[in-house]
Amino acid sequence: MSHSDTIPLHPSSQSDIDEIENLINASVHQSVPSARPPSPPRASIPVSVSVSTAPSPFISSNLPPPPPLPKSSVSAVTPSPPPPRPGIATSGFGPAPNTLTEPVWDTVKRDLSRIVSNLKLVVFPNPYREDPGKALRDWDLWGPFFFIVFLGLTLSWSASVKKSEVFAVAFALLAAGAVILTLNVLLLGGHIIFFQSLSLLGYCLFPLDVGALICMLKDNVIVKVVVVCVTLAWSSWAAYPFMSSAVSPRRKALALYPVFLMYVSVGFLIIAID
Amino acid sequence: MDPNQPVGENYANPRTCFFHVLFKAAALAFYILSALFIDNFVIIFVVTVLLAALDFWVVKNVSGRILVGLRWWNEINDLGESVWKFECLDHESLARMNKKDSWLFWWTLYLTAVLWILLAIFSLIRLQADYLLVVGVCLTLSIANIVGFTKCKKDAKKQIQQFASQTIASRFSSTLQSAFSVV
Repeated sequence: MSHSDTIPLHPSSQSDIDEIENLINASVHQSVPSARPPSPPRASIPVSVSVSTAPSPFISSNLPPPPPLPKSSVSAVTPSPPPPRPGIATSGFGPAPNTLTEPVWDTVKRDLSRIVSNLKLVVFPNPYREDPGKALRDWDLWGPFFFIVFLGLTLSWSASVKKSEVFAVAFALLAAGAVILTLNVLLLGGHIIFFQSLSLLGYCLFPLDVGALICMLKDNVIVKVVVVCVTLAWSSWAAYPFMSSAVSPRRKALALYPVFLMYVSVGFLIIAID
Repeated sequence: MDPNQPVGENYANPRTCFFHVLFKAAALAFYILSALFIDNFVIIFVVTVLLAALDFWVVKNVSGRILVGLRWWNEINDLGESVWKFECLDHESLARMNKKDSWLFWWTLYLTAVLWILLAIFSLIRLQADYLLVVGVCLTLSIANIVGFTKCKKDAKKQIQQFASQTIASRFSSTLQSAFSVV
């Protein structure tokens, strides 16, 4: 009697044990993705970061957050600010540290260092001429904005009459010109990112800005022509690899000619305004 | 007046609120007043646009993350694609945000854009293309911030919902586990 009673309980008990083990494994499996990535040890509010791929019609002047420091090198009492990141962003492994709770000075330094690194790509020989897509990967519109305003100011100071018209024409020419050039590349079937192109064309104005400044100080026409030709060649040389690689080789001339034309018109403005 | 009435909630970050409003007010005031008193278009353009750009930067990088706990930017990944990045505080921290700070943040964003639109309409009526250039730049910066923070806020809500779902699922499995351990 008792022996026959114990036999049916055994498989039921075994199935209960199996089910408990499955639940333990399931809960362990579920807890792994929900765990929050470890944040750097400092007095900060925890944050979360998400990424969504979308076309970006808006101005952005942020550098991605710097890579996290090793924990042993960070003091628990006074956390040291992370070092500024190199200009070309590399997608690091692991979660990006938050920037919501950083001090304001870190934000300012990051933006300024990005502008400087983007300017170096235009002024000095481009280390990414072989792969121009990497140039100005961290695009921003602060540099182009400043250069356009500076060029407009220089031209309007040089002009003896109609300063307002000169400034408005220069600004509108450069701003609309950059947009039209980018749309031209897109319409030619080129693979280009709108704001990256705007950023590059704006940074390439820097040599022409220097030329305009020199022409404002010198009144000699021959000196003006020489300076403008040199800076024009420099701007075109800086813009060439990026714009040419954006379209297919057969349409390269169609993409490059309008860029050259815009810089020539700017150069002509610099020479003609007196 | 009433001694029993509880003291109203004050701004948690008065200095950030001040700078959040300062550059907007300065750009609008300088544009409106200089159109009346100054006749030099270049000065009007440069000062107004610089103030608007400074306001854009301050709202995007400083007051946005301090007043409402949101931040947005755009970058290009290794595949050459444009990627939106959003950051927001977690649920508990967002709940602790000051309501008056948040109210001031959103209302001043929308109010500034509305004012620039009105000024653009006035420039159109008076057929002043050069002043329309000033208003166009300022309006572009203002709308960019509105759209950026609106997207960031929606993304924050989505994350909070995901967090809530995970919490419920975790509690359910925990309840089952404890029930079976009792058995």
